[in-house]
Amino acid sequence: MDRLPIGAGVGFKPEHFAAILDGPPNLAFIEVHAENYMGDGGRPHAQLAALCERFALSIHGVGLSIGGEDPLDRDHLTRLAKLIERYKPQRFSEHLAWSSHGGEYFNDLLPLPYTPQTLARVVKHVSQVQEKLGRQMLLENPSTYIRFEESTIDEVDFLGAIVAATGCGLLLDINNVFVSAQNHGTDPRSYLANFPFDAVGEIHLGGHDADTDETGDVLLIDAHGCPVADPVWALFDEVIAQHGPMPSLIEWDNDVPAWPILLNEISRVTYILDQSTSASRVA
Amino acid sequence: MDGHRTESFVRALKDTGDRPPVGLVGPSDRRFAVHRNTVAIGLITALEVQFPAVLDLVGSEFFRATARAFLEASPPASPRLTTVGERFPEFLAGFEPALQFPYLADVARIEAARVRAYHAADTPRLGIETFSSVAADALEDLRIELHPAVAIVRSAHSAFTVFRMATGGLAPATISQWHAEDCLIDRPEFDPIVQLLAPGMAVFLHALQHGATLATATVAASESTASFDLSEALAIVIGGRLAIHLSTAQRDP
Amino acid sequence: MSSSNLAVLALASSFAAALGFVSEANAGRAAAQPTMDKCYGISLAGQNDCAAGPGTTCAGSSKLDYDTRAWKYVPAGTCETIATPNGKGLLKEA
Repeated sequence: MDRLPIGAGVGFKPEHFAAILDGPPNLAFIEVHAENYMGDGGRPHAQLAALCERFALSIHGVGLSIGGEDPLDRDHLTRLAKLIERYKPQRFSEHLAWSSHGGEYFNDLLPLPYTPQTLARVVKHVSQVQEKLGRQMLLENPSTYIRFEESTIDEVDFLGAIVAATGCGLLLDINNVFVSAQNHGTDPRSYLANFPFDAVGEIHLGGHDADTDETGDVLLIDAHGCPVADPVWALFDEVIAQHGPMPSLIEWDNDVPAWPILLNEISRVTYILDQSTSASRVA
Repeated sequence: MDGHRTESFVRALKDTGDRPPVGLVGPSDRRFAVHRNTVAIGLITALEVQFPAVLDLVGSEFFRATARAFLEASPPASPRLTTVGERFPEFLAGFEPALQFPYLADVARIEAARVRAYHAADTPRLGIETFSSVAADALEDLRIELHPAVAIVRSAHSAFTVFRMATGGLAPATISQWHAEDCLIDRPEFDPIVQLLAPGMAVFLHALQHGATLATATVAASESTASFDLSEALAIVIGGRLAIHLSTAQRDP
Repeated sequence: MSSSNLAVLALASSFAAALGFVSEANAGRAAAQPTMDKCYGISLAGQNDCAAGPGTTCAGSSKLDYDTRAWKYVPAGTCETIATPNGKGLLKEA
């Protein structure tokens, strides 16, 4: 099974193309959204092909609606399979979320209740994706803002059950863990203590915005428009110290900054990964 | 989430009121609004990015209201955001508040063609040497297949001029009389171009796109425009490297 | 004989003339006054074309108070400075 190299990655934005190729210290892999490369040709594919010569590639889907009630969109799955065949990325990942219903696409990662019924549906969809692609996929834990009365299963147990049933891996988004825990008044460290780390193939780190709900409670939004927050770096540090270095990616999707600012974030990831590597050598 | 719960969720997502769906834990108005806003802003921003000339012409408030009406009438079916505006031009053509700007739908057609051209396949283009080797007696039945990035937009309302005014190529000025303007959209390498076509060219290129022979396309163009200049048209096809395939098979209807 | 038939008869000579134009012009488009508009609104030339369209995002929007209701159809753009045979476009608010 192909794997991403252990090191820092970045979500690729076309405005950084030249800077990335100019000399990427410490950059081990890049990640792109599958849906942005489903056109036939032109600059997107020319850039991706050039980047693939230099870096390992992670393809990250945002539109499969794996947590949705509808059957998977066959046309979309076929487009995805074609893209993966073309670039042979080291990893493919998607979200524990839904984005389509009744043939309509909502352009957001929408939450689902965690019940035996939704678990069975997600298991079926993940298996269908892995079968169609002929490879293991990673499933990412979501940022959530609301909770459903009907949920009966903890998110970590829900993810663990999907892994057990399908053999998929997990993409651990540490910012999402922090955002959800803050929004629901739970402890991110106990979430991480129970997380099935054996299945983790990649880590995500991104920035969030802070707001409040109508009762004055904190409402964090996974906006990916600013640097990673300090408490999220602290969690990342702990995770790496405990579980060893892993492929770890900086996501910055909105208000995309100049490359040097992203490079700062990448360097911080590399530093934390390197420290863990040298610590284990000493021990 | 069973069927009716999902329906409630989707209704709340599209509702312009502030109500969250049923079945959530605790006060959730603003929490649910994160999703409602993400969906609306994401899709409207997608249209703004794809139709910058239309946005410039009508201004932000008008554009967003129009985009919202369009998305209600024609919700996106695909997670490929590049396709979200495919039907926006035809929506504008029939949208009452936009009818005061008769050029608007045509300007949107130019912009939609640019987006398609940007993502079109990288099919190799034929150079002059391929044309040079065509025998004179094969010309009448010659079919010239055009590159998938090539599109023709025809406007009765000076859309090319307005498009240039909206995109900074020309200073906004008075248009005293509507002119028919045809344009060619293509993508020579990676960046789309929009080019004004002389009268008759659009008919000629359109006929070629639909599989007509050179003779049939020439007749059609000459009938539409007495001054149609075939050598100029061919120079655009050959010099602009619009062609990807030549054939002489007899398959005229 | 109609002009269109004449045009077909002239195919060979027009074709030869076109080949001549193109080889003379050599690079680029041989047609008269090629009004090419490069893409506009680009922050980094040649890197991020506006016709690329929007990229998807897996982030949520932080504009929580974005108003999705109170919009009116009041034109306020370049259309107001382009005078046309229809006037500048006056409309009562929808």
